[in-house]
Amino acid sequence: MFLVKRRRQLAETVHVYISCYIWETEGRMSCNASVTRLHLSSLKRAEKVPVHLMPCEIEHNGLAQVSQYFTATTKEKKKEKTVSFRGRGLKGQEISCPQGYTGLVLKEVDRHGSDQEDRTVKVTSVFDKLTYWNLETPPTSDDTVVMAMDWPELAEAIHGTVED
Amino acid sequence: MAAKKKRTPNTHNDSWVVIAADSAVETQKHDCDPDFVKLRNPSTDEASLYMLSAGDVQLYEVKAFEEDFHSWFVGQTVQRDGKLLFVTRMDPLYLILPYMIKSGQEGKFQPVDQVVKDDEFPASSRLLSCTRSLTSLHHIAEGKEVGSLKFHRYSQERTLNWLQKKVERTIVALKKKHICVGEGVKSTTYVRVKTESDNQEEDYLRYAHGLISEYISEELSKALLKHLGLPELKSAKETEPPSKKRKLSDKPVEAGEDYTKFNSGDFARKPPKKMTAAQKTLAKVDKSGMKPMSSFFSPKTKAEKK
Repeated sequence: MFLVKRRRQLAETVHVYISCYIWETEGRMSCNASVTRLHLSSLKRAEKVPVHLMPCEIEHNGLAQVSQYFTATTKEKKKEKTVSFRGRGLKGQEISCPQGYTGLVLKEVDRHGSDQEDRTVKVTSVFDKLTYWNLETPPTSDDTVVMAMDWPELAEAIHGTVED
Repeated sequence: MAAKKKRTPNTHNDSWVVIAADSAVETQKHDCDPDFVKLRNPSTDEASLYMLSAGDVQLYEVKAFEEDFHSWFVGQTVQRDGKLLFVTRMDPLYLILPYMIKSGQEGKFQPVDQVVKDDEFPASSRLLSCTRSLTSLHHIAEGKEVGSLKFHRYSQERTLNWLQKKVERTIVALKKKHICVGEGVKSTTYVRVKTESDNQEEDYLRYAHGLISEYISEELSKALLKHLGLPELKSAKETEPPSKKRKLSDKPVEAGEDYTKFNSGDFARKPPKKMTAAQKTLAKVDKSGMKPMSSFFSPKTKAEKK
């Protein structure tokens, strides 16, 4: 794998201090007792989709003609992809999910005005690789999202069973 | 969300991009579904999100990788929230430990189901259903059996030995990662300075200690440092205890409207204010286009409203 040749150092590897994430969206009171159930039955129906991590914030949630206006204009040379997006040159590459891990897109199931505390999410899409894009700079193994993919292996070491 | 964005707040987010351990989403084994639950974070003492697999067999940690100014394209849709969540297996003992310590202050042997109880976080008792919980309690507590009943009492000695093994495991993983890059390194621009290797072992130890400290209280973290034979560093700038790191990163890196600033060149000139010893050494070696990951992981640990 080309990633093996990366110029990476200890400090970067270790600094996967990913935040402890609190699942909460604005304007929604949620107490510590509430539970969010993941409906796994939806996994079978979930479609495999292309996933792109864009280097800008797009103030929109919803449909967009991604394949028509974005994917269709993407060029690929060796491992590096290029595309023009809103007049900016983006450079990107495709990375795989770590082994033993699956990419999922979860979506909250509408509660139809239910006043129940508990929430439900379902799997709407799955992916096993993603493409991330840098603004202007060519993708390297030092890119943060590439390094973040090391977190699962490190977590295995931190949380694996200790022998007696 | 922190007030880092001057744009309209993203209030309608109901979708998340996740990378999850396959075991967390296995469908065959159980009829029931996994639950995302809030539990008391052993390091911050505040609510954090975790996941219990179907039937509470396994505990998972949920962590977010987040950089400013990112969004997703998912299929033919835009998702404004550019977070990437990781769902990874977690050792439930880390979450049980604070309850054991607390009850241990009374010095009595107690049944665990009475110890691991938290009115604020009702899901806590579900931790005891995890397969690993009861079978590994001896790592952190002494046990006593009276008839068919089992009682436990916190043991710091056992806990520190257990944590030391955790640190050692972590070092192995770190080195494994490091070694796999070692060969390719020599041929390129990066040349490791030999004299650094004396400190390398300690660097590994400190890093591993820092990683484990994310899962234990500050007090225990200090005790572990001592147990590992590591002196506390006097200069706060050389290395910092993880707890301080957290406080510091409460303030997200401020970014202007112009997101070209996030081009690595500009951004790299603003290093994080505090760096660990190893980072410092490395910073001397090669700075071009590099930024420590910590600057991209802003904690979202919000104090919960009661």
